[in-house]
Parts: sequence; structure tokens; C-alpha cells
Amino acid sequence: MTATRPPVALAGGLERGAVVAELDIGGAWLVDPASGRSGPGDVVVRDGIVTAVAWLEGEEAAGIDDRGVIVAPGFIDIHAHLREPGDEDSETVASGLAAAAHGGYTTVCTMANTDPALDEPAVLARIRDAATASGSPVALLAHGAVSAGRAGEQLAALGELADAGVVGFSDDGAPVRPALLRNALAYAGTLGLPILEHAEDPTLTTGAEANEGYVATVLGLRGWPVAGEAAAVSAAIAVLADVVADVPTARLHVTHVSTGAAIERIRAARAAGLPVSCDVTPHHLAMTDEWVAGARRWAWEAVDGDGDRDPWADRALVAPPFDPACRVNPPLRRPTDAAACRAALRDGLAIAIATDHAPHHEVKKAVEFGLAATGIDGLETALGVTLAMVDAGELTLARAIEALTVGPASFLGLRLGRRVGLLEGEPADLVVFDRRASWRVDGDSLASRSRNTPLLGRELPGVVLATIAGGRLAYAAPDEG
Amino acid sequence: MTEAPVVAEVAAASQAPVEAAPVEVPWRHRHLLDLDVLTWPDIERVLVTADAMTEVLARPIAKVPALRGISVTILFYEASTRTRVSFEVAAKNLSADVVNIAAASSSVTKGESLVDTVRTIEALGARMLVMRHDRSGAPYLAAEVFGGSVLNGGDGWHAHPTQGLLDLYTMRAHLPGGSVAGRKVVILGDILHSRVARSNVWSLTAAGADLWLCGPSTLLRGFEAWAARGAAAGRRFQVTSDVDAALRDADVVMALRIQRERMTGGLLPSLREYAARYGLTRERLALARPEAIVMHPGPMNEGVEIAPDVATDPRSVITDQVTNGVAIRMALLYLLAGTLPGRHEPGGAAGR
Repeated sequence: MTATRPPVALAGGLERGAVVAELDIGGAWLVDPASGRSGPGDVVVRDGIVTAVAWLEGEEAAGIDDRGVIVAPGFIDIHAHLREPGDEDSETVASGLAAAAHGGYTTVCTMANTDPALDEPAVLARIRDAATASGSPVALLAHGAVSAGRAGEQLAALGELADAGVVGFSDDGAPVRPALLRNALAYAGTLGLPILEHAEDPTLTTGAEANEGYVATVLGLRGWPVAGEAAAVSAAIAVLADVVADVPTARLHVTHVSTGAAIERIRAARAAGLPVSCDVTPHHLAMTDEWVAGARRWAWEAVDGDGDRDPWADRALVAPPFDPACRVNPPLRRPTDAAACRAALRDGLAIAIATDHAPHHEVKKAVEFGLAATGIDGLETALGVTLAMVDAGELTLARAIEALTVGPASFLGLRLGRRVGLLEGEPADLVVFDRRASWRVDGDSLASRSRNTPLLGRELPGVVLATIAGGRLAYAAPDEG
Repeated sequence: MTEAPVVAEVAAASQAPVEAAPVEVPWRHRHLLDLDVLTWPDIERVLVTADAMTEVLARPIAKVPALRGISVTILFYEASTRTRVSFEVAAKNLSADVVNIAAASSSVTKGESLVDTVRTIEALGARMLVMRHDRSGAPYLAAEVFGGSVLNGGDGWHAHPTQGLLDLYTMRAHLPGGSVAGRKVVILGDILHSRVARSNVWSLTAAGADLWLCGPSTLLRGFEAWAARGAAAGRRFQVTSDVDAALRDADVVMALRIQRERMTGGLLPSLREYAARYGLTRERLALARPEAIVMHPGPMNEGVEIAPDVATDPRSVITDQVTNGVAIRMALLYLLAGTLPGRHEPGGAAGR
């Protein structure tokens, strides 16, 4: 190794899915949240195994900073929708895993709102077969449904699903009513599995189209009030408090938290010792309801003393309003809510960035705003959006990587089936990306079947150079030629 | 801090001196979807053009050839008589070819998508599309795929731009001095669900009116937030549930329709209670200035939001609103048609 930065010798010519026989990454910036260490270093992979992680010092480290090529453990997404079976026009397991690899992910947990719902082991087997057939080395884990058919009436086959290897239970897309949630928390608790709750009080969100507030008022969209999430979180926490008295292993995870009010309730419950955790999505961290009006500013830009802003007064409306790509549930919120999400991510209350990757075929989105399917793609843009936060000083690089790796790993525990970190002697499971480079989000650059994101056309920082999962190549950036 | 001058500039623009002579600016809007994108000179341009159309309407044969050969399709997804007929009359007065389509409410699961419908209408030769839809934002979707001009005839709760302009036009015609600047204008009723109220916020604040929105708090939801943000940008208006405070010394009182479904949604106890507490009666109107005018965008529930004797009072200009609606819609069809490919800019160099 010399003092000048040597090129990153990537696995040129390797086929995707093949074992990475030989890979030398020299003079990159390593981020290892498992050991809490970041700095210049080399990583050597032989026959799929990390044979050396060398931290550089002194002259060898000169000129290497955290703004260039970064090596980190592969990302883990605990919340994605891969749509198979039932909606393969929007996404398949194969295209979803390809999107994940392009985004730097080596493990994806798919949600249970497939058709049929993932409420019994045969559906899980089908999804696993599709993953195997795809040839992707990205690990596919799955959450089972809480209720049979996600109908909210009877419990799904929780025990059988646990035996088959699901990593949690969720009726995501819809909330579980408190009476059933109580039973599910208790039953899943004895199985050692968490309930991932989509917190929404449906009596407060009937017909809702966008976050209730200034933007929805101006646009005449039916409001989704903050109280709809806060009330559901309060009810779930109250139920959890009851359940843990009998079943101490019960665990509640509130997914895609979007409001400061809900975050405060979760914070208080954790302080009281309750086993509750939460995650946040890239879009709730970085986008706000003014995107529905046509603004495209990040959530932290140009906010006033109250943490708020007015896109009409600021002349920030650069796109047409009512873009159905901005319709998501829970909705994009106010800048103050996004700030609360980022604060929760910084201080660790939110244990993970979860994408809530929600692919949709164009026919379900190219309709009137209020009739459009809800959700935003996330697997391929999460890193770029997260790096935008890091670039803006909203998040440290180390905490960002933590929330994409060991944070979600801590949620999965032993069910992840592997250790996370830059670990010598373990199968290589890592992502290499260039923070200096940027890429344009468009139809040609996305591996997902879906183009469902308001980020289309935008330049995002951080180009993934390679994703290696379980010692095998999941993604390699095309040669520049 | 560096933003401050820009905000001040916007405020200045929206508070432009109303008495100033209208500036002849080129009309650059191909569509009319909402009033938020119109500058004060744009609005003045529409009003001046409407004056010319009013003259046309006063002729024995109220017809000019301005839109001859242009096919205008009127696509309404919601029941309407007043607005649909008003657009139809306006287009026919300009010699356009008019096609009327009453569509069933749009559905994702059955029937044709809005996008396909609009493409079909264009393939059938339409150059201008007037549409009404029960979903906020639907005309923006249409404008994305339609090659001609889209004119919003009302979308959900969002906007009813021709109504906002005809209301302003009607007020200017009746207020002494022909200006609404500084005049107290009260919009009374179901603000939450009203696209008329929203469009009037843009047009009346741009004109410098002292605008008050009044109704039960359940039907004002979200407007306090708009008033708070809007003030910073020069769009000042008041929001109150105190009907007496709102009506006191008002120059213009506009009542909005109360719909029965507001009761089933738990937003109001009963129509009877609404009429008693917020209905525009002769007694309440006595709080306003003696020469105040009374408006209603229609259709009216007489005896609920407006007493029958108020609706027919000499101070009522409700039928003028209907007549002016035709003039405003003629003006807009004319101005938008000028942006169509192959059309001359109306009022351009050739006209001077």
C-alpha cells in the first residue's frame, strides 16, 4: 500500500450471484458500526470470506476521508413490499431483490400484504422459492400477517409461521384493532417474535388523502391528522403495558413513525421500561407535505424559527401539485414532524431506517391523487436520501450507517442468522459506495419494476459500486468504459 | 434572512395598487387550474376582458366568432346545472363547437381512467377541455396528458377558479369606486368543503380585500393554519366562528351552501341549528353596512344558509353572479385559446 489512494479493485467480470473469489478494496473509508470504528482501511475478500480488515494509520491513511469510497456492512431493511405473490406487475421477488442490491441492501424483510396474504407457511414457501429462483444472494426474510387474510378478525397461523421462520408479524398497510393487537402481542410474545404495527386510528383517517394542515387545506385534500397516529400509538402502548404483565417477552415495534406526537409517546413508554421500538422511513425523514403542493426541498431546508415554511410564499413550487407519487400512508408530514423523526433517529429512539419500499404499477398511480395507491419506492433511494441528510449535517455518517445495519440487526436478533460488521473470517456482507459521485434517479437507473417515487429526475449523492451478500456478488456498478 | 426581501416582494405583488391602470401583459397560461399562479396583472387582464364580453352580451345577437372552429369539450364528473350551462353558453357565444359529456364518477376499479378519457376526448378533436371532478387535483392530471387547454370547472374541495374571478368581478361592479381593496368581504358557511371559498381566498386577497371566513369551527378546520401562514406572504384574511363579529360593517356577505351529508359526518348537529346560528337572516344582515351586497354561488338552500327574503332582497346580486359568470368564462376561454398552437396572442401587437 502506498500513501496515495490506490484504486478500488472490484470484482470486474464477476457474474452477479457468483462467489466473490478475489476482491481488494484499498484505501477506502471503512465504517464498522459493530465495533463503533470508522477510518481509513483496506478490506480483502477471498472466496467469499473477508480475510482481512486492515485499519490504516499515519502516512498510509493520508488523504483518505469519509467523503470518498465508503465500505460498510450490507444494509438491512426490516420493512419492504415485494408484491409477490399477487401483484407481480408492480414488483416481483426477483426485481425487488435486484432493487435492494442496487441500493446497497443485503437483507430485506418483506411484508405480509401480498395476495394471498402471507398468513400461513405455504405462502412463505412460495416467496422463498421465488427468491431462490432469482439467483440473488440478497437474503429474503419475511414478516407474517397478524390476522388471517389480514382481515383483522382472527389470528393468522402465528405458530406455524414462526416455525417456518418469519421474523415478525404485521398487518402493515392497515392497523390491527386494539382487541386483536392485545392477543397478537401476547401470542407472538410467547413465540419470541415482535408485532410491527402500522399505527393509524381509522376512525380519524376515513378518506384521508394528505397530512392535515396548511398544505392539505390549501389543496382541498382530506386531512390525515397527527391525532390519527398519536391515538393509535397510545392505544397500542396501553395494550402492550397490559400484555407484558403476563407475557414479559411481548414486543411492540411501531413501523414508519411519522409524527412528533407519536415519537413522544414512544419515548415516554420506553422511559417507563416498556418493550417498544420504532423505525422511520427515508421519506418521512427528508420529505414533507409541501411536496404534494409541488415543492421539492428537503425537509430541513429553508425552515423558519418555528421549524416551518410556506412553499407558496417562498416560490418553492417547482413541480405540478397533486403528484400521486407523493401519496403515501402515513402521509408526508410537516417539517417539524420530519425534524422530530430525525431527532429520534439521531438519539437512537428510532432504531432503524426502514424503507417501506412500496412499488406500484403506473396504472395504480396515474389516477386522481385521492384514488392513487399509497406508498413510495425506497430500496434504491434510501442511501442517497440518507446521505443528503449526512451532507446537510442532520445526521453523522456513522449513525446513518448504524441505522441501516446494526440497528435493524438488533431488531432481528438471532433471526437474522448472521453477525453484522466488517468481520474477518465471516462471509463478506458489505456495500461499497462512492460518496463523491451522484446519480440520477430515472427509468434507466432503477432496477425495480416500479418507478414510484417523487425523486424521479433528481440527482442523489452516493453511487453504490458493489453490494456483496453472503460472500456473493449482488450488484456491481456498470463499468464506466 | 436573505429570504426576507423576496417575501416582501411577493407581498408587494399581491397587494398591488388596485386602482392602477391594468398593464397589458401577454397572457401566458395555457390552462386555468387554480388562481394561485395568477399575478394581479393576470387577474386584471381577465376582468378587463370580461368587460368586453359583457358588452358582447348586451348586443342583440350576443355572438362573436373568436373561437370559430375550436372544439370545446365540457366533461363533468359531478352533477351541475349552473356552471355547466354557463360554460356552454360562454363557449357558444364565442362560436366554439361544444361537446357535453356527463361522466359517472371516476373509479379506478371499473370503467375508463381519467387519463384514458382525456386522451379519447383529445383524439376526437377537442382543443379545450372544461372539466369538473369530485377529486381535488383531477384537472392537473388531465392537463398533463391533454394537448390543448384545460379549464377547471371545480375540483373537489380544491378550486373553482372561474367562480373566484366572477365573484371578484361582481363585487367590483357593485362596490362604490369599483374596487374591493380594503372592503370587508365575509364568506359565511361550510368553508372546509368549499372550493369556492378557497378560490376566493386567492382572488380576494390578491385584490386587497379585508377577507373574513366565518362558520362553525368544524367547518373551518385547517383555515386557521392557512391564515397564519398566508399573512406572512401578504395573503391576509381572518377566520372566525363569531358570526356577529364577521358581519359587523361588512361590505359584501357571501353565504355558502350547507350540504346534508355534513350532518351524517358529525360536523353539525342539525340544519335547524345551523340556520339559527349561522343562517344569513335579515336581522344578521343588519349588522353589515346598509349598502352591503349579498352573494351566493348557488345552488341555495333557502331557509338554511340564507333566508328567502335575503336572497331576493334588493341588495342581493346573486343573479348578477350568474350573468357575470358567462362573461368571465367567455374571457377565460378567449384568453386560453390564444395560447393554443396556431392561434394569435389575443390583445397582442396586432391588436394595438
